[in-house]
Amino acid sequence: MSERPDILLSVQGLSKTFPTRGGLVRAVEDVSFDVRRGSIVGLVGESGSGKTTAGRCVLRLVEPSAGRVVFDGVDLAALPARDMRAWRRRMQIVFQDPYSSLNPRLRVEDIIGEALDTHGLARGGKRRERVAELLRRVGLDPEHARRFPHEFSGGQRQRIGIARALAVEPEFIVADEPVSALDVSVQAQVLNLLQDLQKAYGLTMLFIAHDLSVVEYLCDEVVVMYLGRVMERGPSRLVYGAPRHPYTRALLSAAPTPDPKAPRGRIVLQGDIPSPLDPPSGCVFRTRCRYAVAACAATVPAAEEVAPGHAVACIRRDDPELNEPALSPAGR
Amino acid sequence: MSAAPAEPILRVENLKTWFELGSRVARSVDDVSFDVRRGETVAVVGESGSGKSVTSLSIMRLLSPPGRIVGGRILYRTQEGTEIDLATLPEHKMRGIRGREIAMIFQEPMTSLNPLFTVGDQIVEMIRLHEKMSRREARERARRMLELVEIPAAARRLDDYPHQMSGGMRQRAMIALALACDPRVLIADEPTTALDVTIQAQVLDLLRRLQAELGMSVVFVTHNLGVVAELAHRVVVMYAGRVVESAPVNELFERQRHPYTKGLLACIPTPRHGRTDPSGERPRLTPIPGSVPNVAALPPGCAFAPRCPLAIAKCEIDPPLEFAAPGHLSRCWRHDEV
Repeated sequence: MSERPDILLSVQGLSKTFPTRGGLVRAVEDVSFDVRRGSIVGLVGESGSGKTTAGRCVLRLVEPSAGRVVFDGVDLAALPARDMRAWRRRMQIVFQDPYSSLNPRLRVEDIIGEALDTHGLARGGKRRERVAELLRRVGLDPEHARRFPHEFSGGQRQRIGIARALAVEPEFIVADEPVSALDVSVQAQVLNLLQDLQKAYGLTMLFIAHDLSVVEYLCDEVVVMYLGRVMERGPSRLVYGAPRHPYTRALLSAAPTPDPKAPRGRIVLQGDIPSPLDPPSGCVFRTRCRYAVAACAATVPAAEEVAPGHAVACIRRDDPELNEPALSPAGR
Repeated sequence: MSAAPAEPILRVENLKTWFELGSRVARSVDDVSFDVRRGETVAVVGESGSGKSVTSLSIMRLLSPPGRIVGGRILYRTQEGTEIDLATLPEHKMRGIRGREIAMIFQEPMTSLNPLFTVGDQIVEMIRLHEKMSRREARERARRMLELVEIPAAARRLDDYPHQMSGGMRQRAMIALALACDPRVLIADEPTTALDVTIQAQVLDLLRRLQAELGMSVVFVTHNLGVVAELAHRVVVMYAGRVVESAPVNELFERQRHPYTKGLLACIPTPRHGRTDPSGERPRLTPIPGSVPNVAALPPGCAFAPRCPLAIAKCEIDPPLEFAAPGHLSRCWRHDEV
């Protein structure tokens, strides 16, 4: 991966291990992907896939164990911790839980204002003006700046979290499951808001989610993770329209669609997701893969390009048996 | 999905379950009616605060104070063909119904599994509570139950404690426990919501198969319209403690007669295989403005009116739940214009 100027973020060989009493947990293992300026990249996976840890490593909220996180040409993973503050102004995060991620004792103006104070961006009347402007921008009433978080609904709180992230005028936002705690009717409001903001400010976003349809709706590119590793990545159009990895196919076919007449070519995966304490050798998906062969246990498959920008980590990616049309989720 | 037979096994009639909180009253379930026929899966759909879970807990009589049934009937038709009202049934008789006639599964399996006993012992206890059977016979039946829910190495797994099982397997064990006494009605309250999507697919497949094989009636409580489309014969849509629409599943997804249901469907991003329209723009979702109301502070009239694009002055008067088409109920003055 060359560091082309239109790439804002390049994650290269990122790994994170956590020591636990049961042994080393390999939460993220050799993950690489690029995020182009002004695009939204989705990081999808089930529990234990490492998507959240990967997102936090990018911001160094969690220290990576290995690999590079190249942001605008600089490897953040190699920076001394004290140098990170300047970079944090350019990169922000929106959390999943709009209840625990806002300090209940602070008024909304201070939740948002704190970010302005930290980076010395606005004081006094300017600060009040800026907070009002941000609240308006995320669809909240600026009159509510003096209220506390508990006076807001879940959707409104998530808007406050978004306003806080926007306060420092970041270029890049990691949104970690920002709509999964919200009611369906409110989810759509926040998705539209994120999309509007992304366009208005030319934001670059890493959108972490387990909901595949939400990712398809919002993201230009998708990275599919399983048990800490990347299974497939590429433009949404290709990953959703012509998925190549058996895991991606199973995942797409497993998601229920709100149409009782939709044909169901469901691939039901057997068994459970293995423990990240003891991941299978070779391809981590092989224990649940119906196409697994002996060779799958021997080596970890590299992510190889099957089309420009579309990479698949499967040794049998070109095998005709894997590419039977009947298995394409397009026939769902 | 075959056509459901006609005889109702469970009839919820004008159910009111309220929570008295000091001077305020949360009408969590307010005048809710629906039928469940034999062998039928009825999905009860709603967002938070819709009253869907309180409805299911009311049927099982598992409400905790200050929640209480203040009105209406829950008529259960026994095997002998007589109807009994669960809403007023004395607790000692209700114990003979729970688990034996009507069983329930939850989002969180540890709601029904005891962490201190093995899964096998819990199923055995459940069977012996309701049926005269030796421990040995009951244990054999428990093993068959684990096989039924597709737990591998069932005989060995009987001696597992719940914590020794994965989330998906615990969910199956809970289903085995619920089905151990061959109940005629299963109430499933968001049983797949906490599961990963590939595990959810396994459990939905299992529930669908069991429902068909055992001929159970199922009340499936969920917020997920995708799950509804896959599993339900009929759908009851709830909003702020009331039924706002009810119809056979195909009919409901084809033609909504309540603006809330229509709005809810428009909120869900549908698969489009990464397509963008020719301008390169992503299609926008059509959200419902505002947020779900607090049932302790509802406006007069239709509870959805403040968020409704079709609201008119008349909506200040509560609309009745009426037939908008054969078999299709809607609680909206303008159901013909939705």
